[in-house]
Amino acid sequence: MTVNLFVCSLIFSCFVLLFILFLLKKQKITIKYSLVWFCVFFFLTICLLIPGLLDFLTKQLGFQTPSNMVFSLLIASLIIITIALTVIVSTQDKKIRLLIQEISILKKEANKK
Amino acid sequence: MKVLLIIPAYNEEENIVRVYQKIKKSDKSLDVIVINDGSKDKTGILCKENHIPCINLVHNLGIGGAVQTGYKYALHNNYDIAIQFDGDGQHDVAYIKTLMEPIIEKKANMVIGSRFIDKMSSNFKSSRTRRIGITLISFFIKLVTGKKIYDTTSGFRAIDRTLIEEFSTNYPVEYPEPVSTTEALKNKYTVVEVPVSMNERELGKSSIHTWKSAYYMINVILSILVVGIRGKKK
Repeated sequence: MTVNLFVCSLIFSCFVLLFILFLLKKQKITIKYSLVWFCVFFFLTICLLIPGLLDFLTKQLGFQTPSNMVFSLLIASLIIITIALTVIVSTQDKKIRLLIQEISILKKEANKK
Repeated sequence: MKVLLIIPAYNEEENIVRVYQKIKKSDKSLDVIVINDGSKDKTGILCKENHIPCINLVHNLGIGGAVQTGYKYALHNNYDIAIQFDGDGQHDVAYIKTLMEPIIEKKANMVIGSRFIDKMSSNFKSSRTRRIGITLISFFIKLVTGKKIYDTTSGFRAIDRTLIEEFSTNYPVEYPEPVSTTEALKNKYTVVEVPVSMNERELGKSSIHTWKSAYYMINVILSILVVGIRGKKK
């Protein structure tokens, strides 16, 4: 890895970490959902700080090049994260629907009196 | 028996008052609740002015969510039968009694007003594509539940107390008509079809557009198959 690439990657992973911390501080995300992004940051940093880890894993897992492995793993994990988000969206959909229905019925009953 | 007519209405200012008056003219004792599904027009105001019982949803939910609100209201107020009735004048008040009969006689949990079961009585002209779609849905329901339902997308239907309880907590809000039928059949409720004739929409536009049809079909078939693999609740 060239020095330039190393520095850029490090800056990026630091940016991810700081951004998540910022969002947490502003209460834009909850702890529960920030965890997955901390994991992402953790793996990025580990791969950067332990030289040769990427090459070792590439060989062990049978990928041709490190970039192939990085892309495959990234896409796989992003798919899983997206599915998890879809589940969350669907649950919230249900909750919001319930709220709209109950509030509307309550409003109607309150108006009767 | 306490009977509630649930009228889901989204932007039906042209029809809602007339539909309500027609119902009241045919049978004064029928309770009606209009579910105003976050209409952008004067539907809500018209209901208030004309003293039509109305639940104004604080946000648009779509037909499924609106009808489910009606079922919840029916449950809270101890109704024995809930009938879904369109707010656009498509359904004929004369058939409300026909729809209730099998439930009163305890022969059915759900009664669907069907346009196709008896071709003689129906003068409803639906397009060729729509008919193919309905037949296709019918085929998949038969595949999953083993029962033949002819008019799978009819929104003119009555359910009894047990299904009111079931649907007020658990209703397939996305493609309500075909999927709720499938779920009812899958859970061993009795579904009966009675022939009704329907009018063409009097005013306003139907909520199903042509370009959405294919998307609708794929989703409905998928939903039915999912109900099939989900198995019985009871």
